[in-house]
Amino acid sequence: MTGVILTARGAFDARVDLSGVLPGAEGDLAKRPIPYGGRVVELGELFDVSGSGAERLTIEAGDARLDGVGAGLTKGEIVVRGDVGARLGRKMSGGVISVKGSAGAFAASEMSGGKIAIGGDAGERLGAADDGSRRGMSGGVVIVGGSAGARAGERLRGGVVVIEGDAGKDAAADLIAGTLAVGGRLAGSAGRGMKRGTLFLRAAEGLSGGFRDAGEHDLVLLRVLVRRSAELAAFLGPEVTRARRFAGDLYAGGKGEALIVAPSGRM
Amino acid sequence: MILNGVEIRDSFAEAFPMVGTRLIITADTPRWAMTAAKTMTGFATSVIGCGCEAGVERVVPADETPDGRPGVAVLIFAMDINGLKSVVPLRIGQCVLTSPTSACFAGMTGGDTVSIGKALRYFGDGWQIAKNVDGRRIWRIPVMEGEFVCDHESGTTSGVGGGNILILATSRGEALAAAEAAVDAMDKVEGCILPFPGGVVRSGSKVGSKYKGMFASTNNFYCPTLRAQTATQLPPEVASVMEIVIDGVSPEAVSACTRAGIEAVVALGRAKGVVAIDAGNYGGNLGPFHFKLREIMA
Repeated sequence: MTGVILTARGAFDARVDLSGVLPGAEGDLAKRPIPYGGRVVELGELFDVSGSGAERLTIEAGDARLDGVGAGLTKGEIVVRGDVGARLGRKMSGGVISVKGSAGAFAASEMSGGKIAIGGDAGERLGAADDGSRRGMSGGVVIVGGSAGARAGERLRGGVVVIEGDAGKDAAADLIAGTLAVGGRLAGSAGRGMKRGTLFLRAAEGLSGGFRDAGEHDLVLLRVLVRRSAELAAFLGPEVTRARRFAGDLYAGGKGEALIVAPSGRM
Repeated sequence: MILNGVEIRDSFAEAFPMVGTRLIITADTPRWAMTAAKTMTGFATSVIGCGCEAGVERVVPADETPDGRPGVAVLIFAMDINGLKSVVPLRIGQCVLTSPTSACFAGMTGGDTVSIGKALRYFGDGWQIAKNVDGRRIWRIPVMEGEFVCDHESGTTSGVGGGNILILATSRGEALAAAEAAVDAMDKVEGCILPFPGGVVRSGSKVGSKYKGMFASTNNFYCPTLRAQTATQLPPEVASVMEIVIDGVSPEAVSACTRAGIEAVVALGRAKGVVAIDAGNYGGNLGPFHFKLREIMA
């Protein structure tokens, strides 16, 4: 089943808010009113709506001006064959979103379930809390094939975020709980204010000054994680057994940790 | 019914509903996984005196365990869910948490739950760490050796306790040899445990006693030395009786285990001193599960 396919009728000259456009949405999708810049227009004015089915929604040739894609998603699948704008999968609780290109700011913000895969880069505050909110993403899985902007995982409360590339400044700032893995470099001040939770890193450079080396250890935890999370197995390597543990942020209680694991999974 | 010279008596094992859970205990080596498993299932022969019945179900290969290390599956049964909720954390806390390199995982889902890390985390004195992955919560409790890792809780299932067979033989040695053969065969049946020492009970009991306050006492009808003083179930040539008690996660599992045991004993036959197979019951009025020996062997 191909599902519903949205094909842009032309270039956008303003930001498009697709927050309510989800697989299985009731009513005629083409007539659905959506904010477009300062106006509200019918979806059909901007996109050719074709296909049918409640399980899948495909956005052909995405655009960095498409905000709110998959926001509030509870089930089904969204595929974007290009870039998206801000708030990808914001507050989603289930389902799967696959973006072939890059995503803007606040992707997966306050997400509580489901899975998001971003083939390119993510903007700032990936999986973070919205402005004025106390808690960021609390569940689900986010995979970023490229790099992420500043404050990735800020106030993360749960779930797994994997950034295969670099993370911008202040990654995992004020992180509450959950898991953030960064395969590339940290831009600095990572984990500042981190209360609990786990960072998986390739090197300790870029951690905030509140982390202290607790030595290298054979951790049974690692063996369990790679068997319960395909994403962490891919990041850590299926044979991982050892990690160097840095406890922190000691200035914020010090119950969090950064586990340094070599790409092969062995130190 | 006579099989290889062994009489299969027209009798049945009378068994009771229990509530049970399965735990997967792992360690760095098979030796330490088994040590933790045997320790935590120790002193768990009968609910009458131990509060639960427990035993090793099977050895779990490393590629089947939640952490990829050698493992052992254990089953623990109690008379009701509250009893199970009470004994499981105690036994894990005293016998698995303390055992070198061990970890402890839920071996079943569904049903009511019993605590593992949910109760044991407090040993961490505030340094314990929870991790939610794949919808399940695991705990890491710092210990002197490293970290004790365990699941938050385990599911439970309704089970069957008190399945049994009695092996009637011409000498103590032959009764024991037959019992050992039966245990070896019954150990291979999944979903069952044999909670008594080495799987064998030499002191089967009857309900009640002449003494006030005793719920169970020696089964004098099967005691060979009392033949002259009491009604007996033993033919003249029988000099010793061994019992094997079976607890299982389902009547089907207990039935399969019973059959495996009887087949092993029958294979030894009358030539090895086995006279008859019998089973313990209370007249059929107490337990809802009746495992009829001849039907099982039909």
